[in-house]
This record gives sequence, structure tokens and C-alpha cells, in this order.
Amino acid sequence: MIAEMSNRAASIGRVLRCAVVAGLLAAGLLAEEVTYEQLLDPPPENWLTYGRTYDSQRHTPLDQITKENVRQLAPAWIFPMPGARRLESVPIVVDGVMYVSQPNEVYALDARAGRQIWKWRREPARQRGNNRGVAVLGNLVYVSTPDAHLVALDARTGSMVWESEIASSEDGYWSPAAPFAIDGRIIAGNAAGDYGLNGWLDAFDATTGERLWRFYTIPRPGEPGNETWAGDSWKTGGGATWLSGSFDPELNLLYWGIGNPAPDFDGEPRRGDNLYTESVVALDAASGKLKWHFQFTPHDLHDWDSVEIPILVDAPYKGRLRKLLAHADRNGFYYVLDRETGEFLEGVPFIDKLNWASGLTETGRPVRVPGVEPTLQGNFVCPSTSGATNWMSPAYNPATNWFYLAVKEGCGVSYKSKQEFRPGGFSYAATGYIESPRFPWQMFVRALDLTTGERKWEYKQVNSRHYGAGLVSTATGLIFAGDDQGFFTALDAKTGEPLWHFNTGTRISASPISYAVKGRQYLAVCSGVNVVTFALPAGLETD
Amino acid sequence: MTWCRRGLGILVSVVLLLGLPSLAWGAENPLGSGSEVIAEGHELFNKLCTVCHGVDGAPGDRGPAMAARRRYLRQTDTELFQAIQEGIPDSEMPPMGLPEDDAWRIVAWIRSLRAKAIDVPVDGDIQQGSNIFWGKGECGRCHVIRGRGGLLGPDLTNLGAQMSLNRIQEAMTVEKPHPPLGYRPVTVTTKGGRTISGVSKNEHNFSLQMIGDDDRLYLLSSEEIDKIVYGKKSLMPTDYDRRLSEAEFRDLLAFLSRLSLRRREGSSVEPNQAP
Repeated sequence: MIAEMSNRAASIGRVLRCAVVAGLLAAGLLAEEVTYEQLLDPPPENWLTYGRTYDSQRHTPLDQITKENVRQLAPAWIFPMPGARRLESVPIVVDGVMYVSQPNEVYALDARAGRQIWKWRREPARQRGNNRGVAVLGNLVYVSTPDAHLVALDARTGSMVWESEIASSEDGYWSPAAPFAIDGRIIAGNAAGDYGLNGWLDAFDATTGERLWRFYTIPRPGEPGNETWAGDSWKTGGGATWLSGSFDPELNLLYWGIGNPAPDFDGEPRRGDNLYTESVVALDAASGKLKWHFQFTPHDLHDWDSVEIPILVDAPYKGRLRKLLAHADRNGFYYVLDRETGEFLEGVPFIDKLNWASGLTETGRPVRVPGVEPTLQGNFVCPSTSGATNWMSPAYNPATNWFYLAVKEGCGVSYKSKQEFRPGGFSYAATGYIESPRFPWQMFVRALDLTTGERKWEYKQVNSRHYGAGLVSTATGLIFAGDDQGFFTALDAKTGEPLWHFNTGTRISASPISYAVKGRQYLAVCSGVNVVTFALPAGLETD
Repeated sequence: MTWCRRGLGILVSVVLLLGLPSLAWGAENPLGSGSEVIAEGHELFNKLCTVCHGVDGAPGDRGPAMAARRRYLRQTDTELFQAIQEGIPDSEMPPMGLPEDDAWRIVAWIRSLRAKAIDVPVDGDIQQGSNIFWGKGECGRCHVIRGRGGLLGPDLTNLGAQMSLNRIQEAMTVEKPHPPLGYRPVTVTTKGGRTISGVSKNEHNFSLQMIGDDDRLYLLSSEEIDKIVYGKKSLMPTDYDRRLSEAEFRDLLAFLSRLSLRRREGSSVEPNQAP
């Protein structure tokens, strides 16, 4: 019944009631235009940005699925994406329509039925890399492409409205990150630093596709920070922007993690701290100008991209309400910064096996342990290059005030060689790493106290050695996680106890979301080649 | 949307046409691919080749059509030139042995039949065609160009780069037996008593996704649907050669043939320059 509220709806939670009313007003229609105001304060039923909210907390206010009824959660629908390999896309949901992507393709699906509404596809001459999702603003859907273009599609039909170049695919660039929509502009990044290709972050006019500003992650001569690169090494310094970021609309600052320096494993040609690689940068959203930066791993030798999503929280810190930025870095340390100034507040390891630094100084600079740098024969280092965490998003629950993340324990052996830069998109890693046979990798979900980083609990994902899913937190005290064995699991946010699981059968490498349509809450995650969704069985939503 | 309901419709799916390999048209032809060369080739073909092939490239008694929807073995300028001059072994196609320039003229014309519309020179006033598209022709009621227009029919933003001139002309003048997939006319009555008309984008026993003639998307579950009635014919009108004057039709065709994303200006930025 399109325009009539069911009796059942009357008894469900406050938040969902709002969602139902909004849904009924929309009466099954395609989304009206997504406004900036909605992005600032997304309706509970919609998942409008990569991290749901600009602070990237990935915390849904939807409250239908609870600790009590989660055991009844069941698959709602599965959409296999034709030709997919391993999906890393984070779906976006707008008023009952799900937009989900893979390289060069975007699908609009009926989020209730899992049925295709439209599909967009292009075949560029050159293409590389994965795709991590779309952005929405107005009546356009934005996606970046394996030939490093930003494309705007009509949300109603999937037809292309404009296309702009982020970087040259001829030079070897691609663009895997989900674009990031703010007021009237779309932020897009590129890859790959491992090829010695310098990264940048671009802002495009959301309506016309015209480029408004560009921030170069590697400072050019005359710019502050260029002196942190020996000689001409800045020219092939890397510093990719291959994941999305976060945004503080009050401060009008974008927070973005920057990738590794190149050559990855050979630091000799690039002596110095190599700014702004392995840093988080705070950029003025209007101009793209750098407000502050904080470097997690100066002169990195292990390809520990610091692109991991920063979570923004306003919380008391040592008795004073502070605007905080929390970031769990691939180097194994959990950091808390003041996001107005970039001041370092806290930094502690979130892994047990960490041998490359004995700690952090008062300003947050790592105290290096000699003898772990890559060599010709190989050197033992923990964490390994694949890192202590990676692209899978962390989550934050305001009720527990804890930071939740996927963690990889384990070590590697890192090797280096001499390599010359070769233009056109070729590896400039100067060798690489293997998993250490002494400490094989093991995945966990861990909960950390937001401000101290103290570990509150961990959930071991038995037999999972490779990166799995990011997380979503719910207002009802659940954390949803996934692993490389294909299990999608609900954990008690307070204890880490597993309350429900489903075997999707294929490795989960993407971050889940939650949304609601017509009074029914869903979880969705890309698993292998499928978009898989879950809901309580019809009739049980009110239990 | 009464105009669309009056039974008029939609261009056929452009997908069918994609993916045919072809070398850049005219690249090998010493005479190029100008409209004069094509017109001369057309005339020569009708004079010299219609003993076997049909007039204007239609199928003939003994020879095939020049631009049917099939994969031709001879696709490049040179391959066509050789077929004309040397014939096709083990077939009824004889060596014509024409003066070389005449053979190239015929090649230019054949390629023009098969080329995408954007690559073929057209007569007609593009601006007038645009006026007809958005005005008298009422095309914009159902079709979108660069985000402007109605949603019931396919997006035409890149039409010229996707379809041949022939196909575009055909879509406006020849009635199809069935509406194409994704554009089937449908009228749904909901259990709440509401009637929604439009085209079905997708459907199954348990759900229906449709664009209404109010250009809005409706996502319906079977529990919400009381009745579905399908239209038998595409909503695309096929009487444009009659409802428009000859000049108007030519102008509209010229406008449609130029629709392409290929030559979009100002859509990209120099990658290595600061703003």
C-alpha cells in the first residue's frame, strides 16, 4: 500500500517512525534531489556518504535490529554484479534506491527488491584498480574511474551528464576512491604512489565538472615541505589519495589520509621526512589550502599508506570538550589529534606485534628501532607492509565512546633493491615484502577507548588472514563485521560477543552499511561478486 | 504526458548497435568522406550496382543490402574497394573494374550508410532541428539530452555516436512490433487505488520498477499492486516523416545526428597545472 501507513508501523521505534513517515511522503518515488543539508544531517533511513556522516563514524541511528532480535536476521536479497571480481564498493542508499559500483560500472537498484533500475558502463582504453563506491549530490551520482576520470550520472537514468579528468591514465593514474560530495563540490583523488606518480586531491564543481582547486600531496619547489625530499626525489614521491576522507563543516576542513612515498622500500634516493606522505592533511574546503598536517610515519620504508579513514568526534579529552580526530594507522599506532590545530594528543599501539618503533615522542613522532628497514636479504618487521589495518572503515559508537576497527596482527619480511623510475605507470616500489612464516597473519575486530586507545575487547576471526570488511555500528549496540572467510557477523558493541552470523560464501572486502525502506531496516555489504542484504523476516520487524 | 500516452514513443535500444569494429571511416579513401563524394557515390551505385543490389542500398534480387544490421565481412575502405574492383570469389559479386575514383566514391557512400551518424556529413539546420526537438516535435517530453528532458525514453545525449543515420531515421518512421526491453508501457493500479502510467524498467513476480509519466521512479512490491496493464506498442511515434515537413524532418535528423559526447568541450582539465 503506497500511501497508507500500516498498523505495524505505528509500534516501531521513534527513528524508524520518522523514516516511515518520510518514506510515505516520498510514496515510493525516486529520491528527490539530495541536498547539502541532507548530507550534513542524513535521514536515518538513507546512507548518503561513504561513512554515512561527514565525520565517518559509520553509526546508524536505525534501531529496528537489536541485540534481542538479531538472531532472526536473514538474507533479504542478493545482487550478483556481472563480471565482478572482488567488490570493495560501499553502497549509497537514497530513498529506497541503492547505488553501487565496480570499476567502470554503476548500478541503481531497488533497495527493497534488489532489482536493477539502471546500469551505467564505460570502457576506457586504459584501466586499473578497484572501485570503492559513489557519491550523491543534487540529482547526480558521481563515480571515479580506472582511467582517473570523475563522471557525473543522472541519478534518475544513469546517463552521463559530464566527465572530467582527474589525472592522466596515459601517465599511469587511476582513481579508486569513492568521490566525496560537499556543498556544491565533489572531491576526488587518485592512485598510484607505488608507481612514483605524485598524488593530489581535486575539487570539482558538482554541476559543471569544472575543477575548482587542487592540492598537491607532494610539495613542489618553493612550497613548504619540499625541503623534506632530497634533490629531485619529490618529482616521483608518490603520496596517493586512494581512499575517501572526512569533513568538518563547522571548521570547513577536509581531512584526508595520504599514501606512501616512492620508491616504497628504498629510502636512499628520498632522504628526509617526505611530506605529506603518510600524513593526514587538513584542507580548507573552499580553497584546498593546507591548514595543518600530521605525519604518522616520517620517511616511511614499508609502504604503510596512511589513507585509513579518520573518524571525527567531539568528546571530552582531559576534562575539556575537544574536536578530535581519531585515526588507526597502517603502521600499528592509534592516534588522537586535535582536529582544529593538528596537535598530537594520544598515540598507542593497537596491535601486540609491533617492532619498528619503541613508542611515540611527545609530539607523536615515532621512536625508530634500528634493524627493521628493508634490505637486500630481507628484514623482519611488524606489522607487515599490508599493515595493521587498511582500507576497511572503522566505526564509532557514541554510546560506548569506543572506536571499532578491523586489525591484522602479523609480521612480514621486507626487501629492497635499486630501481629506476619509469614513466607511464610502472611499479617503482624497489621490491616488496612477504608474509613472515614466524608470525602468520591473523584478523581481529577490536574496540578501543576513543581517547586513550585502551583495548576494550577483541573478536578473533578464526582462520581469517587477509583483510575483510569494515564495520558499521548501530544505535542498538551492535557492530557488524565481515571476514575473508565470507562470514558476516553481528557483535555486541559492549563485549565483542558474536550474536549472529551468516556465511556469504565469498570473501568480504568492503565496508557494510545500514538503511531502511518503508519501515524495514537492512544491512548491506558487498561480498565477493555480490551485494548481499539482510533484514528481519517480514512480520518480525516489531519484535 | 498526454502526448506520450497518445501512443507515441521511444527510440529503440541503442545497445544493439554498439561494438561493431571499424577503422576510422574515410581514413583510407583518397577522396575522403565529404558530402559531395558521398552523393556522387550514391548516384554511381544506383546506376551501376542495382542490377543485383537494391536501389539506395536496399536488399536486391541477387545482392545483399549495404547497411543491414549484420556483421559485414568487408568493413574497411580498402576491403570494400577490393570487393568492388576485384569481385568476391565464390559469390555472384563480379569484378567491376571501375575507374578507381568511381570505386572510391561508391566506397565512401557505403561507409556513410554504416557509419555512426556523427561521422556522416548531413544537410539541414542543426539549430532549427533543436527547436523542433524541444518544440513542435515534442521529443524532449520523453527524451533527455545532457540532463534536460523527459525520462520515459532513452537518453539521446550520445545518440549520434551510437547509431547510424539510417537507424535514427528508421526509429522515427518505422513502427516496431514490440516495445524494447526497459521501455514497455505499463499502467499500474495500486491497492490504495492510485493509477500510475509509465514504462517498466524492470519487473518480476514480486516487484516492479517503473518510471511514471510524471518522470518519477516508482518502486513497487507485488503486495502494493492491484492490477498491471501493459501497452502493446512502444510509446515512440513513428510518423515524423508525416507530421513534419521534409525540411523540418531533415533539420531534426541533422540535430540528432550531431548529439555526441565525443567532442564535448571544456569537460576535462590539464592534469599537471595548478588552477
